[in-house]
Amino acid sequence: MPPSIHPVDLITALRQKHLTPAIVFLTSRRACDEAMESFDVADIVLPPARQEVIAAALDRVIANYPSVAEHPLIPTVRRIGVAAHHAGHLPSWKIAIEELMRQGCLDAVFATTTLAAGVDFPARTVVITQSSIRKARDFTDLTIGEVQQIAGRAGRRGKDQVGFAVITPSPYIDLGVLTKGLTGHPESIDSQFTITYPMVLNLLKAHPHEQIHAILAKSFAQFQLNQRAELLERKLDALHVQMEPFGPRVCTDWITQWQTFDQARRQRPHRQQVKQQESPELTARFHFMTPGRVVGLTRGRGIVLRQYRSKGQRNPMISVLRPDGAVTECPAATVAEVFDRVFECDESSAFPWCSAASFDELHYQLTELPTRLPTLPILIPKVSEPLPDAIVQSLGDFPCPTCTSRPACQKDVAVASRLRQEQHRHIKSIQALRASLWHRFQERVEVLQKFGYLTPSAHLTEDGEWARLIRIDHSLLITELIRAEAFAGADPALLTGVMASIAHDDDRPGAFPRISTGLSSLLGQVRKLAESLSPYEDPPLLRADIAAVAERWIADPTLTWIGLCRLTTMAEGDIYRLLARTLEFLSQIHTLHATHPGLADSASKAIALIRRGVLEELP
Amino acid sequence: MTIDELERLLAQQPVAVLHRLARGRVHRHFRAGKRRLIELLLQHSSQNLAGLESDLQTLIAERQVQSTPLPSGARSAPHTPVPAQKRLPPRGAEPDNSEAAVSLTAWLEGLGVPPPQPFVPDPWQSEALAALDDTDVVVSVPTGSGKTYVAVEAARRAMEDNRTVIYTSPLKALSNTKFTEFSKIFGSDKVGILTGDRQENGQAPLLIMTTEILRNLLYDAASGEIDVRLDTLGLVILDESQYIADPERGVVWEETIIFCPSQAKLLLLSASIGNPQDIADWLTSIRPTASRLVRHSKRTVPLRPGYLHPNGKLVPLFKTAAIPSGHPNHLHPEAKRLFHEYEEETMPSGRSRR
Repeated sequence: MPPSIHPVDLITALRQKHLTPAIVFLTSRRACDEAMESFDVADIVLPPARQEVIAAALDRVIANYPSVAEHPLIPTVRRIGVAAHHAGHLPSWKIAIEELMRQGCLDAVFATTTLAAGVDFPARTVVITQSSIRKARDFTDLTIGEVQQIAGRAGRRGKDQVGFAVITPSPYIDLGVLTKGLTGHPESIDSQFTITYPMVLNLLKAHPHEQIHAILAKSFAQFQLNQRAELLERKLDALHVQMEPFGPRVCTDWITQWQTFDQARRQRPHRQQVKQQESPELTARFHFMTPGRVVGLTRGRGIVLRQYRSKGQRNPMISVLRPDGAVTECPAATVAEVFDRVFECDESSAFPWCSAASFDELHYQLTELPTRLPTLPILIPKVSEPLPDAIVQSLGDFPCPTCTSRPACQKDVAVASRLRQEQHRHIKSIQALRASLWHRFQERVEVLQKFGYLTPSAHLTEDGEWARLIRIDHSLLITELIRAEAFAGADPALLTGVMASIAHDDDRPGAFPRISTGLSSLLGQVRKLAESLSPYEDPPLLRADIAAVAERWIADPTLTWIGLCRLTTMAEGDIYRLLARTLEFLSQIHTLHATHPGLADSASKAIALIRRGVLEELP
Repeated sequence: MTIDELERLLAQQPVAVLHRLARGRVHRHFRAGKRRLIELLLQHSSQNLAGLESDLQTLIAERQVQSTPLPSGARSAPHTPVPAQKRLPPRGAEPDNSEAAVSLTAWLEGLGVPPPQPFVPDPWQSEALAALDDTDVVVSVPTGSGKTYVAVEAARRAMEDNRTVIYTSPLKALSNTKFTEFSKIFGSDKVGILTGDRQENGQAPLLIMTTEILRNLLYDAASGEIDVRLDTLGLVILDESQYIADPERGVVWEETIIFCPSQAKLLLLSASIGNPQDIADWLTSIRPTASRLVRHSKRTVPLRPGYLHPNGKLVPLFKTAAIPSGHPNHLHPEAKRLFHEYEEETMPSGRSRR
């Protein structure tokens, strides 16, 4: 079975059930174009009468928009009554298709799901082939709202009694997403309020710094933050009620008191049993009973082979080599004297605790020892007598151990401290929710002060006065470029090239027409500046090929639209949108004519030069 | 019905009815006892109370029908047919037990052009227009319900009052479409357009613009550059205002609404969203008058979801012809079977690779 229905079969099926006109939403522009290609050889042509209707309607549209006439899809539209409608097409083509749809001439339009919101014409049927949509760089599942928006195009008021939303599977479709989308309740929407540099400048221009707080408080963002804060406040109230039994006791803040007490109690070193049992003398001597040391026992002498602690009581023990060649284990306490004589001892981990050679050697040395040996002088530290009630002493600062409410405190402290911790957390988050917008605003103010658009008292400087008129994306980069006089004396073509590369935010690959050296060096500077501004503003893509396309269109007034399209692999519609958006950016620059006459002049020249050919014809 | 009433009603039903009600709503409902089942159903009802209620009513009605012929056996009779068939694999499932699935003919029924009838505004449209006389209005209705009619009528009324109307849309293409449309309705001298790259008839009483342009106008006005158009501004229509949740551009809608002059009425038109009440409450909190929310979820032209198999076979998607709200699992058995088949054959799973 094919992974998805063939477009020709799809149209046949829809026609057969009288489900046309239909909008078919496909994954990508390429899918739409391939669907169109598959109709080239199809024999599902319309009856001549309908072909004539379409031709007549097309002629009417072409009269308004001549660029439609040369469109390669015209024959398919005439013959079969299907068309593609996506962002890769010129607006004039899309308008033409929408007009034909409204007149009911077409059987089907193939559109991309990405542009579902921009498809503003209804049909009897909507065909859905996928459950995800390309957002930014990867695919995400359609939301319930989006599914309903797409399906909602079906059913024309006054022309249909019922509309149809037909799902046809394609690879990677998730039926669950779609059925949930159709039957579910649309998602809630959340504010996406961000504070931009032009917003800060414009607000401070119109209002004193003190009033801004009140203005930000009027945003939907703050409204929703307040909702969350109120929710937390209700939780806080509930916590307050829960905390009631844990009010002041003998001390007012008994929780903290107990916690400190508890901590001190835990930190106090544990008594070590070993130390208590061992006499300090023994401890000091035990250090010197290392392998090879000659010691005097109650009967005779010996050489220590190893020292260790006994398993159960952890008593200090030694293994001793006796003059008769035996190895005995004895408690360190039985050692009468520690002599000042040590022999080499090659230790090993198993009986007899040293190598055979060194055992023999030691045995020999032991028998050869003189009768009198000097004893080792060992300093025995003086032991301070331990205090009888150590706990009370070390915790002398705390009244808790003797307090009357000690049992109650001990019992409740776990619950109470958890509740109090929660309370603190909520209070902190409420504060953050209430003040976060203001903090973000202050951050922006600081950046603008740093760059000299605002005075330290948050008034607009001379630069700030004109910079507030640039109300587009990447405004900081653009104003900084103007201040750095990057465009001083730049001709309209260079200005357009740079603006285009700043304006363009699509990462669809494009070809690379030859770029002029002037533009490429200017673009290098812009890139450097954008990079240095990146802590304060996300840098734009600054694609060189985009800049080159826009520059070429301005620099060469004889260049036709077709010629421009041939220079690059970008789709017509993308080039159009690029130039239209550049136009917007340029017209913003044009508003600076009072302070930067040269630049504004250059911008207006560029605007005049952009508007030709297809761009002039269109609304 | 309140939650308490629902709980009481649920408690009166035999456990078999509860199990049927829980199917598709509660995971592993057959494990739960009656009390737990009621608890779970009530939990679920927070998501879709209306759907639960209507299903419950149908089940009760069905039970009454069944129990009338054999009043004595009513206790044991409804138990038998319920759980057994559900376990069958979808492949073998005949039209599913209780409610028979809709047939293709029934699904296609009604297809065609309705007889021409004089245009009568829907109640919600009149309601929105009436409310707009006094206050701001938030409209949240499904796509294709006729929001444009409200916009046009509201604009007409404001213009008759010699007030300026500003209509904004998120996309330039939509602005252009509306410009053409409104020019046809009101005459081209009455309508102007202002977008980033197009300015025509900028002093007309009805101005169409992108929201960004309106925001810029409002900023200029706030910083002292007087614009006559804003003095006589009577109505601001923000179309597709669900764009307020757009990650990049949503902020523009908020700025526009915050700085919208208080003498002008606001009309927010949006597709169905989950929390239109929040938007209305927000407007109430920052605007001089309490705003009015107009919402409904019923489509003017009913929608029938279908499933088209790659081999050209068309079947209804759900058991019912219309969309079963709140029941994404009530798939038509045939659609379910075909999709299952499709997945078996196309998915690169272990079995099909062999």
